Amino acid sequence: MSTIGRILIVEDDPNDVELTLTALADYNLANEVVVTRDGQQALDYLYCRGEFHGRSNENPAVLLLDLKLPKIGGLEVLQQIKADERLKMIPVVVLTSSHEEKDMMRSYSLGVNAYVVKPVDFHEFVNAVKELGVFWAVINQPPPGSVKK
Amino acid sequence: MTDLADGRAPGGARRTLAYWNHEFQRLQAPILRYGFAVVSVAIGLGLALVLQYYGFRDVALPVLTVAIAFTTWYAGAGPSAMAVLLSAACFDYLFTEPLYSFAISARDLPYFFIFLAWAAIVASFSAVRRRIEQGLRETRDHLQVEVEQRRHREEEIRKLNRELAVRAAELESTNKELESFAYSVSHDLRAPLRHVAGFSELLQKQAGASLDDRSQRYVRTILEAAKKMGNLIDDLLAFSRIGRAETNKTAVDLNQLVKEVVAEIGQETKGREIAWKIAALPVCYGDRAMLRLVVVNLVANAVKFTRMRRPAEIEIGCMDGREKDVEVFVKDNGAGFDMQYVNKLFGVFQRLHLPEQFEGTGIGLATVQRIIHRHGGTVRAEGAVDRGATFSFSLAKAQGAAERTGKTP
Repeated sequence: MSTIGRILIVEDDPNDVELTLTALADYNLANEVVVTRDGQQALDYLYCRGEFHGRSNENPAVLLLDLKLPKIGGLEVLQQIKADERLKMIPVVVLTSSHEEKDMMRSYSLGVNAYVVKPVDFHEFVNAVKELGVFWAVINQPPPGSVKK
Repeated sequence: MTDLADGRAPGGARRTLAYWNHEFQRLQAPILRYGFAVVSVAIGLGLALVLQYYGFRDVALPVLTVAIAFTTWYAGAGPSAMAVLLSAACFDYLFTEPLYSFAISARDLPYFFIFLAWAAIVASFSAVRRRIEQGLRETRDHLQVEVEQRRHREEEIRKLNRELAVRAAELESTNKELESFAYSVSHDLRAPLRHVAGFSELLQKQAGASLDDRSQRYVRTILEAAKKMGNLIDDLLAFSRIGRAETNKTAVDLNQLVKEVVAEIGQETKGREIAWKIAALPVCYGDRAMLRLVVVNLVANAVKFTRMRRPAEIEIGCMDGREKDVEVFVKDNGAGFDMQYVNKLFGVFQRLHLPEQFEGTGIGLATVQRIIHRHGGTVRAEGAVDRGATFSFSLAKAQGAAERTGKTP
């Protein structure tokens, strides 16, 4: 674990944010996490605009994306990212409550890198978040231009 | 009769003839009919007199016969008899010796008989023709009424069909709404549930040591309840998915399917004494994954409700008496149920036992019923308290695949 990639979380539910951060903190992955609360804020972060105007111009190592979001939905965010030359290399993981086949089909056809259904069971949820964090932020070699610690 | 042939073009003449035919058919009142007889005979008589005046001889008889024929044709039997009598009298009075007297000389008698016979033959032919025509007319009227009725009925059927189509569309949209409602309810319930479970778990971890026994039990109860609700929601989601999923129908070997399921469930029942009795099953036509769910639910139920039996007996077989479909049953010697609650068995979240006795969400049989209904079959349950239960479902056989495969062990 020499380097930890930055994790961008897009999640509107504060409880889910807290549980996710708790899970990541248990495995010391929480110090490189950015939380955005809707699709608009997530895109602002990625394009370094609005409140993220001054941030250094590097991409996160992974994006954990909820689908049901206020303002701009998760699928739309995914579509914009995968259509942008500069952003499309960012690994995007959909982390959602939706079992819906059509959500899954749409996500994959838009080029999502993984699709994870949030487990209802807390232990499974913690486990899933931990494994996602470890894999994408530590094991996986992110594309060039990503933030590393 | 001069009216009838007025020398127009053949087509026109035929039409005029038809018109008058029709007009005269309408002679219904007796006065008109007998009047027609008198007028016909009078015209015939006049014509005969005129012809005689211009030197034609022996024309009276044929002309009067034609008048009788017309009368019979258009006015019927009674007027025809009157026309015969009238013409006979006139013929006798005006054309036979001695003239202007009704006396008949013996010499003219045969002549009279021939006239009467001839008139009778013409009249009877006309009467037959009239009867046939009457019959045809009645049949036509009858047919017309029937055609009208049929048109009416067809219109009614079309109307009902239209209504049915509207109903079906309404039903479909209601169904869709219901499905999407069930889905979003289950879906949106999952998030808060995860939070209840998650934060209770965190509480247990954070403050577990400082909580007294009673508080620890409370936290455990919250966690168990959340887990149970999670199971309910998952089941409801799966149930709603069955209603929406497309069925992918193929030939399904029930032997193979049952073998798989029994092997799988057998893994979880090690240490229990279960006497399986599995008969040969046919190849059916349906969605394999869905039918598997049916068998899993029924077999798992049988295993669950025979928990207290040593040995438990579970029989899987079929009644294959019909040509197109087959009835498969799963029979056990378990807890059974009271037949007065049989209608509740297949309802969603309907349970007949306390959760302490037998666990479960109460959606298994509802799922079974839904799948079987989607396959066009029916489900049935029979049982008695403490004497076991039999659940059966009917399913279409695969065409040309009715032959049995070997017995499963």
